Amino acid sequence: MTCLTDGWIGYNPAMKKSASPRKSPKKSNRKGKNARKPWFWPLFFRVFFIGVVLLAGWMVYLDAVVTSRFEGRRFEVPSRVYARPLELYDGASVSSGALQRELELSGYRAGDGSRAGTYRRNGGHFNISTRGFLFTDGLEPRRRLSLTIYGDRVQDFRVLSGDTSPIVRLEPAQIGGIYPAHKEDRVLVQLDEVPELFTDTLLAVEDRNFHDHFGIAPLSIARAMLANIQAGRIVQGGSTLTQQLVKNFFLTREQTLLRKGNEALMSLLLELHYEKEDILETYLNEVYLGQAGTRAIHGFGLASQFYFGESIRDIGAHQVALLVGMVKGPSYYNPRRHPERALSRRNLVIDVMAETGLMSEEDAARARAQPLGVTDRASYSENRYPAYIDLVRRHLARDYKQEDLQSEGLRIFTTLDPAIQYAAEFSVKDMLSRMEGSSDTPLESALVVTSRDSGEVLALVGGRDPQYAGFNRALDARRPIGSLIKPFIYLTALQQPDRYNLITPVEDKGFSLVFDDGRRWEPKNYDGEERGLVPLHEALSKSYNFPAVRVGLDVGIDEVKSTLEGFGVTSGISEYPSMLLGSVAMTPVTVAQIYQGLATSGFNTPLRTIRQVTDAEGEALSRYSLKVDQVADPAAVHLVQYVMQETMQEGTGRSVYRTVPRELTLAGKTGTTDDGRDSWFAGFSGDLLAVSWVGRDDNGPTSLTGATGALPVWSRFMSQVPQHGFSPVVPDGVEYHWVNPAEGALTDEHCNNARLVPFITGSEPDREISCGGNLERRVRGWFEGLFQ
Amino acid sequence: MKANTFRYVGLITLALALAGCASGPGGGSIYVPAGGASSRDEAPEPPQTSDRDEEPRVERKSEQPEEPARQQEYSSPSYQDEGDALSPAARSLIQRADSLMAAGDTQAAVAQLERAQRIAPRSAQVYFKLSEAYVAMDQLGSAEQFTLKGLSLAGSDSSLQRAGWLLLADIRRARGNVAGADQAEARAGAL
Repeated sequence: MTCLTDGWIGYNPAMKKSASPRKSPKKSNRKGKNARKPWFWPLFFRVFFIGVVLLAGWMVYLDAVVTSRFEGRRFEVPSRVYARPLELYDGASVSSGALQRELELSGYRAGDGSRAGTYRRNGGHFNISTRGFLFTDGLEPRRRLSLTIYGDRVQDFRVLSGDTSPIVRLEPAQIGGIYPAHKEDRVLVQLDEVPELFTDTLLAVEDRNFHDHFGIAPLSIARAMLANIQAGRIVQGGSTLTQQLVKNFFLTREQTLLRKGNEALMSLLLELHYEKEDILETYLNEVYLGQAGTRAIHGFGLASQFYFGESIRDIGAHQVALLVGMVKGPSYYNPRRHPERALSRRNLVIDVMAETGLMSEEDAARARAQPLGVTDRASYSENRYPAYIDLVRRHLARDYKQEDLQSEGLRIFTTLDPAIQYAAEFSVKDMLSRMEGSSDTPLESALVVTSRDSGEVLALVGGRDPQYAGFNRALDARRPIGSLIKPFIYLTALQQPDRYNLITPVEDKGFSLVFDDGRRWEPKNYDGEERGLVPLHEALSKSYNFPAVRVGLDVGIDEVKSTLEGFGVTSGISEYPSMLLGSVAMTPVTVAQIYQGLATSGFNTPLRTIRQVTDAEGEALSRYSLKVDQVADPAAVHLVQYVMQETMQEGTGRSVYRTVPRELTLAGKTGTTDDGRDSWFAGFSGDLLAVSWVGRDDNGPTSLTGATGALPVWSRFMSQVPQHGFSPVVPDGVEYHWVNPAEGALTDEHCNNARLVPFITGSEPDREISCGGNLERRVRGWFEGLFQ
Repeated sequence: MKANTFRYVGLITLALALAGCASGPGGGSIYVPAGGASSRDEAPEPPQTSDRDEEPRVERKSEQPEEPARQQEYSSPSYQDEGDALSPAARSLIQRADSLMAAGDTQAAVAQLERAQRIAPRSAQVYFKLSEAYVAMDQLGSAEQFTLKGLSLAGSDSSLQRAGWLLLADIRRARGNVAGADQAEARAGAL
C-alpha cells in the first residue's frame, strides 16, 4: 500500500520555492577551497560561466520543445467510421440472429435489458436499452425498447421508457478507423466532461499534491531513490502527473539519468507556462491504457469505450477505480487478460477512494463487490471490413486530405449494413470452396451489394478472404463484362418503339464482319447452335449472341455506347463491334452503378458509401444526399426489367430458384467471357441490387459460365437475406397484352403459347389471332369470364 | 416567388392523406423472409413457432426446393399497378420532416425524408416530399428529378398522379420551362 504508485507520497509544500535547477551547479562550489592555486578561480568562473550558458541554452531549447508541442497540443485523433444505424420499427426487416449480431457489434451486452447498453433476448423477443446517440439531425435519446421478431420482421415494437416514437435508431456500430501512422487511437475528452470522482481518484492515486507542486516533488523523488537503492533496481518513481505527461509526451522510455534530468526541467517549464487544468486535461488524453492489435489505446475517453463500451461520463465508481488503477501498468493489469490482477488492483484503488473520503465505506464495499464490468470484446475494433473501408477512403479522398482524416477525429457515417455484409462474405467463401474442385489456381470472387432505390453500398467483398486488405477485386479488377452488356443493347433498341418491341423477331444466325483492313470477326453462340428467328425477349433471356450483335449494329454502336454513358460508364468503351458481346471491361462496382439505372426504371442513382461526415463534436461537415437522375425512358426500362425477370424464370438465370424461394421475384443477367475467364451475374430484388464476379487473378480460363460461377454466389447471398421481391410499378405509357410471340400477334389469354407482355403504348401488334380450334380452352375461358 | 409559383405543393399533403385511405388489395411488394414463406407488406405476420436459425442456411441437395406445382403461380414476370403504401413508421418520419420544414430547418427535414426513403423506397409520396424540400432550398433541378421518380411509382393512383404532375408543372415553370410546365399541367388535367 505504501508504494501504491509513482507519486502520491506526501511532499512538503514549504520546500516549494527553494529549489531551482539553475542553482544546482552552484552547489559544487564548496567552502574551504580558497587556499587553492591562483589559476583555480579564473578557470572555475570560466567553466561555471560556460556551464551556465550551456544550461541556459539547453533550457531555452527545452522551453521551445515544451511550448511548441504543448501549445499546439493538437492530438492526432483518428477518424471513426460507423456502420449505418439500424432502424427499428414495426415491419423492419431483420432476423433475430442479425439483430443480436448488430447489438453485439455496437457493444451491447447481454443483460437485463434495462441498464443502458444491455439487451435481453428470449427467442424472438428482445428487450433493448439504448444508450442514445446524437445524430446531426437530432438526438436519439436513451430508451428502453421491446420488440418481437416473427418471419424476419419486427413486430409489437414498443418504447417502454424514454421518448415514445414509432421508429428508433440504434447507435451505429463503429466498424473501423482511419489511423495516423503511429497508430495511436484516442477519443478526446475535456476536463469538464470527466466526472469529478474520476479526476479526484486519479490525483489521489497518482499525484496527491498535484495542485500544489510546481512540476516535480523532490521529497517523493528522494523517497523513491531510497527505495530504489534499497532494492538495487528501479522499483519506484517519484514522478508527478506532470512528469508522467512529459515522459510520455516528449521523451523516450529509457530510464537514464540524463533523461530524468530533462524530464524534471521540462516539467518545471510546463508548470511555468500552463495552468494545472490544461496539464491535467492533456494527461487525461495522453495516458497509455492498452493495446488492440497494432493500435495503441490512449486517453481515458477511448479507454472507457474500449473496456466498458461506455462513455467516461457514464461509468460507475468501480469502473473509475479500474481505469485509474490501470495507469500503473496497462498490460500487466489488462482486465481482459488478467482479470484477477486487475480486480485486486481496482480494489486497492477503491481503498484509497474510501481513505481519502472520495466515497463512503458502504459505497466502497458495494463497489468492491461489483464485477469488473468489462465488455467481452473491444467494441472499438480494428477494421474488420477492409474492402468496404477501402471504397469509403476513396470516396473520402474526393473531399478530404489524408492527414485530416488521420488526425482531426472526424466521424464518418457510412451505409454499410453489417447483416448484409455478413451474408455477402459468407456466400463468397462458401460457394467458392464448393466450386473449386480440381483447379490448381484458386478461384477468386467479388460481390457488391447496394440498396436498389438509394444507391447506398450496403456490402462489399473484395475477395475470398474478407479480412485480407490487399487487392480489392470489387474496385480494381477491370474485366470484360460479356453478356452483361446485352440489356443495354436491347434497351437502346426498345427506346425506338416504332421499330422494336419485346416480340420483334430477331435473327439467331451466324455471320461474319469483314473490316477495312481485311480482318474478319465471327461471333459465336455459347452453345454453338443457331435458332433462326426468335422473339426479342427470348433472345435476351436466353442470352443468344447473334441477335444481340445484329440488333446492336442495327441501332448503332454509338447509340449503345451513349446509353452506357448515360447509365454511368465514364471511360473505356470501345466502338469495335466486339463491344456488343461485352469486350468492354469494367469493375464490379461500375457494373453495380450501371445496373442501378436498370433496376430503378431508368433513374441513375450515384453509388454512395457515406451519408455524412461530421467533426469530432458532431457538427456536420459534409452530407452526401440521395440524388436521382432520369437517364432513360421508364417505359423502355420496364420492358427490359420484364425480360430480366424472365431470365430468372426461364432463361440463363433459372437455376437461382434451386436456392432462393420461388416467391422472391428477381431480375438479372448472366455474363460469361471467352473460356470462362470471367463469370458475372448482376441482378436485383425489390430491395437489393447485387453484382458478383468469379474468375482467376491470372485471368486464366475456368470451366465456369455466369450461370455456374457468379450466379451460385449471388443466389446463395440472396437466399440469406430477408427482403421484398421485385415487382415494378407499370409506368405511364406501358400496357400489358396477351400475345403469341411466335406469331407476333395479339391473342387470347387462354390460348396455347399466350404470354402477357408489356408494350409501349402503340407498339403492340395490330393483328389478332385466335387459338385456332382449341375449343376446350376457349370454352373454359368463356366460363371463367362469365363467373369472374 | 415560391408562394406564387408553387401553387400545388399543398396537394401533396392531400395526396398523402388520400393515399393512406386508398391503398387497397394488390398494393405492396411481397416480403420474403430468408427461409421463404412470403407475405404482403401490409398483412399481419403469423407468429412462427420456431426461432429462425442464426447461421446462414446451408442447403443440402435433397433440401433444394423442387416444386413444379407451385411454379405456375410465379412463372410470369411480376408487376404492380401502384407503388407501396407508406408504413406508419415512414409516415411519422414524414411528419417530423414537415415540422422541421415549417421551422425552417430544411436540411434536417431532408435527413428525415431520406430515412423515410430508405424504409419506404417504393412509395411515390416520399419522393414528392423530397421534391418539396428541394423546392424550399431552391434546388429545382433536384426537385424536378425527385418528382419524376415519384411519378414513376404513382402508377394508377390518380390522386398521386395529379399531385405529381402539378408539382412538376410548378417546378418546370419556375425553371423557365414553360412548354414542359404546360405539358405537365395538361397531364394532370387529363386525370
